[in-house]
Amino acid sequence: MGIIDWAFRKSPWILHFNTGSCNGCDIEIFATLTPKYDVERLGALLKGSPRHADILVVSGPVTRQASGRILRIYEQMPDPKKVVAVGTCCISGGVFSNGGKGPCYNVYPGLDSLVPVDAYVPGCPPKPEAILDGISKVAKKAGVGCK
Amino acid sequence: MWSAILPILQTIVFPGFLFLIAVSFLYEWLDRKIYAWMQFRAGPVLAGPVGILQPLADFVKLMGKEDITPAYADRRIFGAVPIMMVALIFTFWAVVPVTGSAGLVSFRGDVVFALVSMTFFCMLVFLGGFSSADRFSLLGAERAVLQLLGFEIPLMLSLTGVCIHTGSLSLSGIVSWQAENGWTLLGPQAIGFIIFLVAAQAELERIPFDIPEAEQEIVAGWLTEYSGRKLALIRLAKDMELVFVSGLAVALFLGGPVGPSPAGLEWLVYPAYFLIKLALVVAILAFIRGLFARARIDQMVSFGLRYLVPISLAQVAATILWRLA
Repeated sequence: MGIIDWAFRKSPWILHFNTGSCNGCDIEIFATLTPKYDVERLGALLKGSPRHADILVVSGPVTRQASGRILRIYEQMPDPKKVVAVGTCCISGGVFSNGGKGPCYNVYPGLDSLVPVDAYVPGCPPKPEAILDGISKVAKKAGVGCK
Repeated sequence: MWSAILPILQTIVFPGFLFLIAVSFLYEWLDRKIYAWMQFRAGPVLAGPVGILQPLADFVKLMGKEDITPAYADRRIFGAVPIMMVALIFTFWAVVPVTGSAGLVSFRGDVVFALVSMTFFCMLVFLGGFSSADRFSLLGAERAVLQLLGFEIPLMLSLTGVCIHTGSLSLSGIVSWQAENGWTLLGPQAIGFIIFLVAAQAELERIPFDIPEAEQEIVAGWLTEYSGRKLALIRLAKDMELVFVSGLAVALFLGGPVGPSPAGLEWLVYPAYFLIKLALVVAILAFIRGLFARARIDQMVSFGLRYLVPISLAQVAATILWRLA
């Protein structure tokens, strides 16, 4: 493990993007920043600009309107980058997947049909512990050698 | 031979570049820990013992990331700004006294020289935001220059009070005046010290004056388009600027590194005094960061010109009267 891989593991900076979520998952993501869970223990900071971020945390069903934006934000992030899908809607479409028979007319069947996803955090909404777990697992995978 | 190598070693290793980098990483960690402690959080804990290597991890990670230059950016200025920021702080660090009453370089008027660095840094911020060709960067750059209008005059006036009080325009003169007269400068110049800290907070673009990079309004302000190595250098320059400005405060108001010491051990005790006083100033700045919310740009400029300037003028007038009496 070189120093660069070590640095990538210890400093995962997060960018949060909401693709049309009901705010349930967003509240849980922000709960990871609160004193009780404190994601800064892992070295993570919530960043505003995609240029600064390493991990894209996406919540909500991926609607057709948001699809172009999420692609642009993903492209704007510098390599190496990781994506975490938070919540059932983001993973598979959730309640918008028409009972498992296929997605609604305006919703993609999950984030991984648009961009490569490194971690799925299921739940409606997932607990902050689960989101922390997802971020830390992605951070452990991070590094130049393993894009 | 030794007398030829010593200045080079001093410039590169001990009170110079490597020492500055190490100290700036250490005090960024301290700043983040105090900020987290005020919010009942733990702050970074995993990188090294109690997270002390966190700024180093951030720096190395950003150095290893992809470096993107936007298609419409002015490539040369965009790439030059981070290097010039680091070079600027390295240059101006030479006048800050660390090991004795004088810094690496000491001459009459180096207080003015140190003051110029703040304006230069702000100009570099403007160039960086302007050359990014991004609407958020441009807004952030405009705000940085507007903010300079607000805090620069009170900053200069607060230093004027110190210079009149000690009758010296050089940092070494001010430090040795304080060494001869005890810690008497912080008492009469307390208002100047407070104004200096407020203006330093604005110069360093920290809460409540982080208006040029207000995250909730304009993404990351003038930093929006910077990534990878350039962002790493800018963050390093900002950390070093925190140490530089705090070091100026230590030299001007807190007596610098000079203090009581056993004979022959000054080379060890004076830097220790300097680091302790520096930690004190950084802690005060971190407290300010944790206690306040962000001001609007018009509130900041009118606060600076309407309250800080008259108060610091009154301070200067009182100091002149004290000198005449």
